Amino acid sequence: MNKQYTEERKIFSFDRTISSNIIHSEPDRYKLLEDISFKSTNIINIGSNLSYSPLGFSNKSVSINIKKFNRILEFNDAERLITVEAGLTLIELLNFTLKYNLWIPQIPGYPSITIGGAVAANSHGKSCSIHGTIRNSIKSILLFHKKHGWMKLSENENKEIFDLTIGGIGLTGTIVNVTFKLLKTKSRRFVTKKLAVNTIEECKNKILQESANSSFIYSWNMADNLKNFGKGIVYKNYVDDSMNDFKQFDECKNNFKPFFIPLWNKYSISFINFIYLKLNYLTKSKKKEDFLSVIFPFYRKENYFNFFGKKGFIESQLLIDEFKFDSFMLEFKNLFKKYEPTVTLFSLKNMSGKQELLRFEDNKICITFDYVNNSKNLLFMSKIDSLYEKYEILPSITKDSRISKEIFNKSYKNSSVFIKKLREFDKERIYQSEISRRLEI
Amino acid sequence: MTYLIIGASSGLGRELAIKFAKKNYNLIIVSRDERDLIAIKSDLEIKYKINVNFISLDFFSIDEIDKKLFSKKNFLEEIQGVLFPVGTMFEQDNTMLNAVNINKLLSSNYISIVYTIQRLRKYLVNKEKSTIVGFGSVSSFLGREINSVYAGAKRALESYFESLAFDQNFKKINIQFYTLGYLDTNLSFGKDLKLPKGPIKKLSEIVYKNKNANFKKLTFPKYWKVVDLIIKLVPFSIIRKFSEILSK
Repeated sequence: MNKQYTEERKIFSFDRTISSNIIHSEPDRYKLLEDISFKSTNIINIGSNLSYSPLGFSNKSVSINIKKFNRILEFNDAERLITVEAGLTLIELLNFTLKYNLWIPQIPGYPSITIGGAVAANSHGKSCSIHGTIRNSIKSILLFHKKHGWMKLSENENKEIFDLTIGGIGLTGTIVNVTFKLLKTKSRRFVTKKLAVNTIEECKNKILQESANSSFIYSWNMADNLKNFGKGIVYKNYVDDSMNDFKQFDECKNNFKPFFIPLWNKYSISFINFIYLKLNYLTKSKKKEDFLSVIFPFYRKENYFNFFGKKGFIESQLLIDEFKFDSFMLEFKNLFKKYEPTVTLFSLKNMSGKQELLRFEDNKICITFDYVNNSKNLLFMSKIDSLYEKYEILPSITKDSRISKEIFNKSYKNSSVFIKKLREFDKERIYQSEISRRLEI
Repeated sequence: MTYLIIGASSGLGRELAIKFAKKNYNLIIVSRDERDLIAIKSDLEIKYKINVNFISLDFFSIDEIDKKLFSKKNFLEEIQGVLFPVGTMFEQDNTMLNAVNINKLLSSNYISIVYTIQRLRKYLVNKEKSTIVGFGSVSSFLGREINSVYAGAKRALESYFESLAFDQNFKKINIQFYTLGYLDTNLSFGKDLKLPKGPIKKLSEIVYKNKNANFKKLTFPKYWKVVDLIIKLVPFSIIRKFSEILSK
């Protein structure tokens, strides 16, 4: 590998559980992207490196970061179409489209995530019960592959590779640009309504009932002890029709700097949860909120992640059928009682879509847990892993850095189709990440 | 008003194009690869509602400059200023570089710039507040083992820009020359540099702000001025001795 235009660096997954010394490059011209690809044996694509699991690196691959490919290539207001390069961040995209009252609603949780990263992860936002995943907004993709060269992908052109690429965790080649079909939005402000819930079953029922009335519905639940397990708040966001001002959002910098020592533990979590719940009870049940706080819930709240310290955390995001939810939660609580894990975040939302290939989507309930990274929690999580087959649960491989090949094979029933098609397309398996090597994709 | 930017596809050139576009100037951007130029044109036109024309050419070829740039008289008549954030470097550039590459380095870093300025003069001289901006390199402060030809070309370029300042034929045109140290571009990416890189965003703001200055010579990042001063004050024999010790 030619060392010009590359550098060696140590990199961590966003959850900080996996690190690697990698070769990193940031091409800023098309020719340079081609040259670096041609000169590298194995490649993987990296965006802002905000995926919880190590999708963007491997110690055996050159990580190609296309953050300098961040231009708007085409925009048609009347047809609501926009073509942007994959290094454009979500905040840069929204800063442009919202001027025209347009957007894509499948926005993952942090503004500096790149378009390429969002497409490769088939990301979803808070409104996934109505809008599903980003797949629903994609019209076409321009891909560069070391062997196949430049490929236009869409429903009508190279459809099989188009399908593999969306949610294909960057294994089909470098996503260079994406054309989106945009949706109209009336305002850049939201009205948030809150509903208190006492149990997780009540929370699930509220979310399912209200999903038809509100596109943004999700919960925050307590899981610091068994007594209050599931107690929490259901949030519903509505677009505020009365407001129509648009002020450009500031350039966003990642403020993720883990503290030297972890601050999340049983006591701090219980204390913060108690304060947070009380504040929610005491404040108005209906309030106006700005766009950034609703769409990017962790923006300006990065200390939540920094509090995990250098050892990091593990996020588990699971899709489960609504009819299996109660039984699963019952078993979850039994294991919780026995192993007493330290859970910092517990949340529910509803999701719509069809599970195919490696995509984390289905007409199911989406449960999210964040755990402090310690041996006790890892043991607890392994016990939960063993329930996936029984309850037909789909764990997110982009969130959970621990998932083993065995769990992956059992949960992702369509993964063999993805692997077969990918190997047919790329016989040398050029594009490989830590996760693709671990799961033998 | 239109600015011509030679070498606009990446690094400082691209940043300057963004800066001038933000200030609502139309642009003619020149670089080798049409794909990069099309992307920059689309982005700037969509975001800032300006007109961007592009010309793809190899800047070390006088023939291409004649055929592709100077054939477009209608473009050139509009220009208010020209910026040359252009440069070519070869990894194998040293005191024994082959003739073909010497020719390429001298052409793109010096001869083509001089030639373009000479031919653009007639389009700029009668305009109010017209500007020519050149970019040198701190590598020209002192002879060197690597990038020897590049450094020589950049030293020649600085001398040429000083000559422009003295030349009565260019009296009405604002001339500016920036001697550049390490910048946060792909040219310095991954290199083990002992001194910090200067942000190109800040540099593009300085260049924009100074565009109407009558004659300006600046060093960026500023700390290179101190390095330059030391090199000028210390006798060459001592510098050579010091370099020998370091290389051991």
